Parts: sequence; C-alpha cells; structure tokens
Amino acid sequence: MSSRAPLIACALTLAAAGLTWVLIGPDLIALTSPSDGFDVDQLVLLYSSLPRAVTAILCGAALALAGAILQQVMRNPLASPTTLGLSSGAHLALAIATLFAPGLLGFGRDVVALCGSLAAALVVLGLASRRGFSPFALVLAGLIVSLYCGAVASLLILLNEQYLASLFIWGAGSLAQQDWTIALSLLPRLAVLCGLAALLIRPLQSMELGDAGVRALGFSPGVIRICGLTIALALSAIVASAVGVIGFIGLIAPTVARLAGVRRLGSRLVWSTLIGGALLCLTDALVQLLAGAAQDFVPTGAVTALFGSPLLLLLLPRLRTMAAADFQAVPAPVLKSRPAVRTLVLLALGVAGLAVIALLAGRTPDGRWAWTGIEEWAAILPWRTPRIVVALAAGAILAVAGTLLQRLTGNEMASPEVLGVSAGAVFGLIVALFVFSAPDWGQRATFAALGTVAVLVAVLLFGGRSGGLVPERVVLAGIALGALLDAVVGALSAAGDPRAFLLLHWMSGSTYGVDWNTTAITLALGSVLVLAALMSRRWLDILPLGAGATTALGLPIARVRVVIYGLAAGLTALGTLVIGPLSFVGLMAPHIARELGLRRAAPQIIGSALSGGALVVIADWVGRMAAFPYQMPAGLISATVGAPFLLLLLGRRRSRNADS
Amino acid sequence: MGGLIGAALVPRCLAASPPDAPRVVSLDYGIATTLLALGVVPAGVVATVEWDKWVVEPALPPGVVDIGRDLEANLELIAALDPELVLATPYVAHLTPSLERIAPVLTITIFAEDGKPLERAIAGTRLIGDAVNRAAAAEAYLREADRILDRCRRRIEALNPPPIAFVNFMDARHARVFGRSSLYQDVLNRIGIENAWTGPTNYWGFQTVAIEDLARGTPSDMRLIAFEPILPDVEPTLEKSPLWRRLPFVEQGRVSILPGVLMFGMVPSALRFASLVVDHLESLA
Repeated sequence: MSSRAPLIACALTLAAAGLTWVLIGPDLIALTSPSDGFDVDQLVLLYSSLPRAVTAILCGAALALAGAILQQVMRNPLASPTTLGLSSGAHLALAIATLFAPGLLGFGRDVVALCGSLAAALVVLGLASRRGFSPFALVLAGLIVSLYCGAVASLLILLNEQYLASLFIWGAGSLAQQDWTIALSLLPRLAVLCGLAALLIRPLQSMELGDAGVRALGFSPGVIRICGLTIALALSAIVASAVGVIGFIGLIAPTVARLAGVRRLGSRLVWSTLIGGALLCLTDALVQLLAGAAQDFVPTGAVTALFGSPLLLLLLPRLRTMAAADFQAVPAPVLKSRPAVRTLVLLALGVAGLAVIALLAGRTPDGRWAWTGIEEWAAILPWRTPRIVVALAAGAILAVAGTLLQRLTGNEMASPEVLGVSAGAVFGLIVALFVFSAPDWGQRATFAALGTVAVLVAVLLFGGRSGGLVPERVVLAGIALGALLDAVVGALSAAGDPRAFLLLHWMSGSTYGVDWNTTAITLALGSVLVLAALMSRRWLDILPLGAGATTALGLPIARVRVVIYGLAAGLTALGTLVIGPLSFVGLMAPHIARELGLRRAAPQIIGSALSGGALVVIADWVGRMAAFPYQMPAGLISATVGAPFLLLLLGRRRSRNADS
Repeated sequence: MGGLIGAALVPRCLAASPPDAPRVVSLDYGIATTLLALGVVPAGVVATVEWDKWVVEPALPPGVVDIGRDLEANLELIAALDPELVLATPYVAHLTPSLERIAPVLTITIFAEDGKPLERAIAGTRLIGDAVNRAAAAEAYLREADRILDRCRRRIEALNPPPIAFVNFMDARHARVFGRSSLYQDVLNRIGIENAWTGPTNYWGFQTVAIEDLARGTPSDMRLIAFEPILPDVEPTLEKSPLWRRLPFVEQGRVSILPGVLMFGMVPSALRFASLVVDHLESLA
C-alpha cells in the first residue's frame, strides 16, 4: 500500500497556508507598498503574526518529532510528550522556579524545563520498567506523573493565585508573540536536535529487529534508547519553555503519519515533523480566526488538546498494534494471607483514633496549636465534625472504586482518576457553573451525576465497540477525557474569568462547605454502593485471573464488567463531588490494603475503604491546619503526598519481588 | 492629592470602632474599605496579607484578624471571632447558609449582569451604613465623595485629556483591560474621561487581551495607564520588545504606571482611582 502521508501533509499545509493567508495576506500585500507613518497592522504583522506563524510551525514540528522518536524508542504507539508527562513536568519545574527561585530562570528557562521533563521521564520510566515497558503501563505511568505535576501546580496556583496568573496562561500554551526572539532562539536549537535525530535514524530503525538484531548491527540498544530519549526530552522541554504546554500535537502527528501508511522510520520522522508543523500552524490560525470573531482569548495549547483528545478517542479502535499480550494480569492472589479479621479490627481502631485526633487538634485565632477544650466544643465542633465524617466517607468511597477498577482491569495502576469518570463529574460542574451563577450542592450533584453517566455511556460506546469492554481501551478513553477536561479548564482559566477560580476550588477537592445534609447523602449513597461491591466479591475474586479464566468459570464477562464499571462510576462520582478528581486515594488505598495482607476481594474492599478514609482524614486535617487560617484542599494534599507514596510502594514491591 | 483625600475621609488613628458599632466580619476588600471609610474597624477581613498589594489605601489597621481566602473563609475562625454581622458579596454566595449560622449576613452586590458598579457601590454604602449604625456617616461620606468627583470632573474639563486605556499586566504578553461594566468605566463617565477601550468585557468589566490588541481599534492619540502590582519581569521584557516599543502610545511616551487600586472595589476605590488618575494627568500637563 502506498503511503498517503504526503497527501495528508500537503492537505494540512495547504489548509494552514490558506488560513494564514486569510489572516495576514492583506497586510502582507500592503507591506509591499510602504505607507507613510505608523501602521498598527503592519507592526502586528511583522512582530506578532509572522513570528507567531513561524513559532507555531517550529513548535508543532518539534513536538511531533519528539513524539515520533518516543514512539519508536518506547515501542509504544501512544508515547508522546503529553502522554509521558514530559510537558507537565517542564510546566511544574518552571512554576516552582518562578515562585521559589526566580534566579534559576535567569540561568536559563530551557535548563529548568529540561530538568522538569527529565525528572518526569525518570519517574515514568521507573514506574513502567517493572511492567516491561508495556505500552499500557507506560502511558498509565505518564498519566500518573502528569496528574501529579498538575496537582502540585494547582496547589501552587491556589496558594499564590494572583502571582501565578501569567503562568496560567503559559500553562495553557499561548502562541502570542511580540517579536522574533522566541522564533529565532528556537530555530538553531531545533535545527541541531533535528540533525542529531537524523543521525539516529539508522540505529533507531534497527530496533525493530529486536535487541539481538540491534547488537548484530553493532549498536547498543541501551545507548540508542538513551540518545533517542534525550533528543525527545530536549525537544519537549525547549518547546514547553518557549510557549508552554501544547497538548497532543506530539501524539496526533505521528499517529496520523502511521495511519497514513508510512512504514519506514526515516519517512515517519520526516512526515510526522511536517504534519506536526502544519497541524499546529493550522490550529493556531483557526484559533486566531475564531477568536477574532468572538473577541475572546483562547490559548492554542488548550485548543490542540480540545481537538486532540477526541481524535485520540476515535483512533482507539484502530490501535490494534497494542495487543492484549502487552497487557499482563497482576500475579494471581497469594494464597497465604494474614488473618483478615484481626487486621481489619486493628485498622478500624486506628482510623477511629485518627478521627478523634483530627477532631480535637486545632489552632486558635492567633495561630497557636491547642487541643480544643470542652467549653469550645459547641462553637467549633459543628464546623469540624461534618468535614471529618465526609472526608472519611469520600476516602472510603474512592478507595472502593479503586479496588474495583484494579481488580477489573487486572492493573495495579488503575484508579478512578484514570477512568475518566471524575473528569465527567467536573464537566457536569462546569455546565452547572454556567447555568446557575452559584449552584448549590444539589444542583452540583445532579450535574456531576449527569456528567458521570454521559462519560460512562461514552466509554461504553467507544471502548465497547467490537467485543466487549476491553480494559485498556476504557482506560485510554478515560485519559482522553481527562485531557479534554484539562483543556476546557485551561481555556476558561486563561480567559481570566473569575468563575474559573470557583471551578478550580471544586476541582482541588476540599471538604470545605460540606454540611450535615451533604454528609448524610454521601454516607447513605456510599453505603449502598459499597454494600453492592461487597456482594459482588465472588466476581471480583475471579476477574483478576483474566478473561479466559473468568469465562471458563462460567461468568458472563461482558455483563459483569458493565456492572462493576457502573458501580465504580457511581462511587467515583460521589467521591469526586467531595474531594475532587485529582486525589490519588483510589490508587493508594487498595495498595495499602494489599500490603496489609488483605488479598481476597471482600477483606481488600473493607481494608482499602478504611485506609482510604484515614488518608483523606489526614489530608483534610493537614489542609485545614498547615496554612491556618488559609485552607488547602484535601484532594490536592492527598495527591501531592499520595503519588510519591505510591512510587515508594511500587519500588519496594519490586525489590522484594526481585529478592524472593 | 490622593493622600489628602485619604486623610480627609479615613480617620488615621482607629484604635477601635466606636462602641455602638457592631462587631463586623467582611468577606470582601471593597466592603472592608467602605467600613473603614465609615469609621468602623472590622474584626476580621479576608486575605489581609495581600491587602497592601491590591488595595493599598486605606491602610488596614493592625489587629484585624485574617480569616483566610474569600471563597474558603475560615468558618471555624469566624465563629471564634463571634461577630454580630457578616458582610458578603454574591461572589461568596455559596457561603451564605453557613455564615448565617454564625451571624446575620448582609450581601452587597456591586457587580451584576446589568453593570453600573458605581451606582451599586453608592447604594451599598448606604446599606452598610444602616447596618453598622453609621447611616449619617454614610450620607456624609457619599456627599463628600460626590464633591470630590465633581472637582475631578472640573479638573478634567480644564485638562481635556486624550482617551485612556486602563490595564493590569498579567505578564509581558497579556493584560486585563477595563471597559464597560467596570468600576473604572463608571468613574470615567462621571469625571469625563474617554475610555480608549470600547471592546467587549466580561461580567466584572474587564477583558484579557494580548498586548498588541491594545493598539487595535483604539484612538491613535490614546494614553495607556497600567496599575500596580506588576510582576518584576514584565517591564524589562516589554522594554526589549519591538512590537511594544513601536506601539504609538509607547513610542510617543504616553504610558504611565500608577500605584495599585482595588479594581473590584466600592466608593473608596472609585475615589482613589479618580484622584490618582487626575493627579497624574495634571502632573503631566
């Protein structure tokens, strides 16, 4: 089959050129007949429009090249600067440097961004290495790191909201230029990196022969990987430091090239680069045209994600290269487990003690630490008690959701954040925010639930096409939805609408503002769903054994999956309303339960519910007290503490497995 | 002149509020400035640590307790302050039910769909005056404010300044420009200055635009006034930018940077804005 890549690249280039001409053509013509005196349009053309178009082409090309190299090095069709967390790593590094060490930025924004990307890459590779770098594990690890970086950056914005306002715009990826500095500084760097990439084509190509084949050709697989990775890292970091996070171009362009039938690596790199440049230029021209009509302010980086994530959804069914063989089930449950009842009783006692401490340890108006005395209980406890109860409930709810998902997908990195249902709940909240000026809990809950159902149906439609709910498709659909959510929130925030801050507060996941009604509803609905999860314990014991074993044991696997997804979705929506879509509780708690020796479904559900509750109670207490009287949201606190905790946990598990 | 107005309107030494004023907590900077103008020191105000950056004047007397950020004011702490009245805005409407469990809540609306923030701020000042037993002080303050704005109007008539655009820099590439529905716009109408920015604005009366947009569709003789706070890297970056340097108002030296004014404030901020701008225009003449 002959490649359609040239056709696609030409079409994109023509479209981009056409739109750019619509934008700047008349001014360009006017340029040839110099007018006397000052001309704003001419200035804007020379110092804004032209460098903007050039920057768009360069950045799009660089990200696409980075994506194409990453996909080859990782042997993963879904690798890209966005999906591996490289862009968000750079974003976070720049945010931290801006706030805490502005001197570092003078030393070089690129260097800071590169350190961020490198750190993100190391973490992602570390996480993925124990799953043999399977495409699925790699993208999941990338997503976790992305979420983590996003959570920390959000926390920084909440604590310094005015100061980081510009970073906000930056994070969403605005291509606006006011001179040639950025375009001209990008050009030599990207030229050098492209040259290096060209030198690497043959060694990279040889990787398709497998490690033995690579060695036979006289290359070292490790060295090739490191070289490829370094180039991709540098490309992503340079773009991030120049214009911010431009989502998904690095995934879409190489995917388009491959789907167009480009087989050879060399051509794939070239066509990806060209398509990427044309695509970003086209997107940016579209953004400018539409923004010009709407007189609005929309960052291109958010728009590429708006286009990109649905495109990823549509591409999912075609990505058959990601075979089920890549996707290994978690090792079968170890039969030897500690007496579950004793562990659970001890755990419950611990959680109760923790709740009492969280209730009574506080600070006075002048900021001193103090145990709250009985005489103050009437004034203070009505404010603290519902928060602690709801934190406990939300933690337990998300923990059970996480347990269900991990057992369902057989993947220990699955969590409610990854399912995309939390994203759906927040989409519902966004709608509520624009329908009512100040929606109450009931309205928010209704819209969040609607959003959840919408996402669930979408996931079932996209992931369920051709042969039941395949776990990896559902998770990837969730990723795409999460990215879409980021894009929408990014665009809203960058537009400077103060409602975006309200949204950020909800997304950050605070128990602030819950009352007894909310708490009672959360408790009641949560109990029903958790009971339902406990009743399906037999299914959950069998599911991790894999689809084959499940069918062999006579379970109607498609129906079982729909029921469990439904339960997990309901639990996630309920928990998300309380502590936001970013917490890692659903990821951490099931691991804690397993570490405690609770391996079978029922004890693991109860154990992770207790652990999850405890985690959120601690996070909520830290959030209420650490920056008193300012409050930090429990969801973000638990995310910033939870992700490193998970890394430690995984690292420890690996070394223990290696020892035994 | 700004300092004089401040001295005339805000008693300098406010050790404590007069005994007949209730203990008040304010969830809004603008309301807090109005309280101070009426001689009432609130027991608690949101985000006092950033007061000097965004409000600047009137200064916040020492001893006012910081009750946290407006959207998540520390309810436990407000309860401990035991206020008799809580003043809030629709922006924190989600807190009203909780706050009502502590004390009666009076909601003052300055920004709404139909704009007119100055008119609403004047009505709000009367509401606040009634609520804190300062009705006479409120009337006197509003009369004085009227006189000051009239005087500003006469001074502007003498100056006949060009259209002016008012911005807060977000970073070196973007700015919030204020127009229709903003407090600034109402003051400009009142004192007779033409706003150079006639483009659409949001609910709060501003629009986030790229720097170059400030030169689009605006009069060629316009002046640009930027208010602090400005991030430290913005000015050096702008100085190097050819696009910025060649914008007519930059090239011809018609750019000014003035101290911060609360852009979402009430009458005290309107007066501060008017006097800062008029003083500055006179100093240029």
